[in-house]
Amino acid sequence: MSAGLRDIELRSRKTEILIVATVLIFSIPLILSYSLLVLSSFSKEMVTNLNPRDFIPTLRNWILFFEGRTAVFGGIRVNICHIVLNTLIVALGVSFLVTLVGSMTGYAVSRLRFSGRKKFMALLMLLHAFPGSVMVVGIYFLYLMFLPSYQMVRLYSFFFVIVARASLEVPMATWLMKGFFDMIPWEVEWAALVDGASRLKVWRKIILPMVKPGVAAVMLFGFLAGWMDIIYVRTFLVDQTLATWIESNINAEYSYLPLVAAAGTFYLLPTIIFFLLARRLIFTISATGVKG
Amino acid sequence: MVVVRLVNVTKVFRTGVVGVKDINLTVNHKEFMALLGPSGSGKSTTLYLIAGIYRPSSGKIFFDDRDVTNVPPKDRNIGLVFQNWALYPHMRVYDNIAFPLRIKRLPENEIRKKVLETARMLRIEKLLNRYPWQLSGGQQQRVAIARALVKEPDVLLLDEPLSNLDAQLRISVRAELKRLQKKLGITTIYVTHDQAEALAMADRIAVINNGRIIQIGAPEQVYTKPATVFVGGFLGNPPMNFVEGEIIEDKGKLYIVIAGQKIISPTHYEPIVRRRGLRKVIVGFRPEDTMILPECRDRNECVKGMVYAVEPMGREYIVVADLGGELVKAIVPRTLVLTDDQEICLCPSLAKIVLFDPKTEKSLESLAAEKD
Ligand SMILES: Nc1ncnc2c1ncn2[C@@H]1O[C@H](COP(=O)(O)OP(=O)(O)OP(=O)(O)O)[C@@H](O)[C@H]1O
Ligand SMILES: [Mg+2]
Repeated sequence: MSAGLRDIELRSRKTEILIVATVLIFSIPLILSYSLLVLSSFSKEMVTNLNPRDFIPTLRNWILFFEGRTAVFGGIRVNICHIVLNTLIVALGVSFLVTLVGSMTGYAVSRLRFSGRKKFMALLMLLHAFPGSVMVVGIYFLYLMFLPSYQMVRLYSFFFVIVARASLEVPMATWLMKGFFDMIPWEVEWAALVDGASRLKVWRKIILPMVKPGVAAVMLFGFLAGWMDIIYVRTFLVDQTLATWIESNINAEYSYLPLVAAAGTFYLLPTIIFFLLARRLIFTISATGVKG
Repeated sequence: MVVVRLVNVTKVFRTGVVGVKDINLTVNHKEFMALLGPSGSGKSTTLYLIAGIYRPSSGKIFFDDRDVTNVPPKDRNIGLVFQNWALYPHMRVYDNIAFPLRIKRLPENEIRKKVLETARMLRIEKLLNRYPWQLSGGQQQRVAIARALVKEPDVLLLDEPLSNLDAQLRISVRAELKRLQKKLGITTIYVTHDQAEALAMADRIAVINNGRIIQIGAPEQVYTKPATVFVGGFLGNPPMNFVEGEIIEDKGKLYIVIAGQKIISPTHYEPIVRRRGLRKVIVGFRPEDTMILPECRDRNECVKGMVYAVEPMGREYIVVADLGGELVKAIVPRTLVLTDDQEICLCPSLAKIVLFDPKTEKSLESLAAEKD
């Protein structure tokens, strides 16, 4: 797992330049809009109309954001720590659940030759193709079905959002993990059994290390899915997360956009961090799998 | 002391495919047993049954007197080298070899000692810091053997460990493996589809085909006295020649008619042939036990044939002869000068001819033995 990329070493220089150039061209709008957002968060005025004179550097937006103020004037305050914590709970919950369920079903689908396995895989693919918003109505009935007592609803709504959101990610996670498990030959597992390991030890010492990149990727996608979700959180969660909080501030009449830009930048942080950390990982997955 | 014993072992897979059927096999202490058979004959299945990876559908497996039929692999103390070696790709060579010892929770300094010792024995001590994918095929194979040996197993199981090596390396490694096995004195079962490998290495050979064991015996025995046409045709390069023959009696003596020509029947077969009243037989003779003469001159153990082709093999020539429409091979010294379509005389050594029953394709000896 330490080899990094392994590819044929005879790719022509020209192709390489072409590939890099194409990628750059397509990512320009993305990079531009993100940079504008970040810049605006440090400015008194939004710089989104590309006028350099609008950029008046200040840290006030960030200070306001961390104070939990939603507007420059007036006294509307929220506990921003609480909101971040809520977001984290949802994101980590989804991540954990997706990883757990995804790796187990992935293992089952890869290893067990049960009847209807192909159909099951196709069904998963189909499920993944459904947009989450389509299913909100159906899921709402599930939500109502198990609605607990009034005091418990707040807690329950967290649990429900996590499960509902995770279930949307499970199909993809299953496919991804299956790909990783498929790359482990049966014989390697058997070798460990013959060497004296118990099933649990085989799983922990042989299989898990070999699918580590996959697990990391699934954890990451799960986290981001939970962190970024807005539809489910807004429909079902009693509390606010960053996503719903930002959303509610964009359209409010008191809204001060540079402050929202700061919040938005903060909201993007995990994605950026993960992107930087996981670039190599994602690369390895898409290019060669676990090889090396 | 470990004697491996399989009693009436059958494995039917869930798909309905019969992996092996009614296997009876005893491998003695310190014995090197080769399990020889073509692809898909059930060799790996047999090995996995002994290892405990597969559970027999019926029958029992014993290590000495201990019934291990339902014992999980980890409690059998076996070393297994897989067909594809199955090294742990995320571990360095050192950790690969150390793995079985770490599972046993041995102290780290003892592990170190044993790993180094085993690595030295297999001459891979310079590779301990590498990952499996940084090794050549031959090196990976050594690591796999080291991993199997380091835990001092009671039984060593090897599944075609040399099949991925080139021909030269294979020959050098096979002598090495044989020495190692004798030195360590571990009961060993060695799976191979290469008859030369089995003949060269094994104390005894078990020939398997279609999931059944056909013959078990010392290499010379299996080679010179094949129990069936299949065994004769599978061992040897080139393999045994087979021609159809008809038994006739003339003045109280038995003769075999091959391609319209009469040769006397080997005397040791006479009682069996008479007792069974056989009219037709398959005559098997090995190319190296066949003499070629320019002319027959009334020799009563020879038949006339035609040279079909001559294959110079370096050390000797292989003559392909046309015997009444059937092609047979003979190994002759290089001094013999032959041209295509030349008429020659083929003289299989009477003492080494093996006769088979055309119906069952079993040798007459084994048929006679079955009766008892
Ligand atoms: N897990 C399995 N499920 C179903 N059938 C199997 C399984 N493993 C092996 N078989 C079948 O059992 C038969 C024997 O297989 P086995 O692997 O023992 O052959 P082999 O002698 O080792 O062959 P090779 O030299 O190609 O390795 C084959 O017909 C094979 O298709
Ligand atoms: Mg095999």
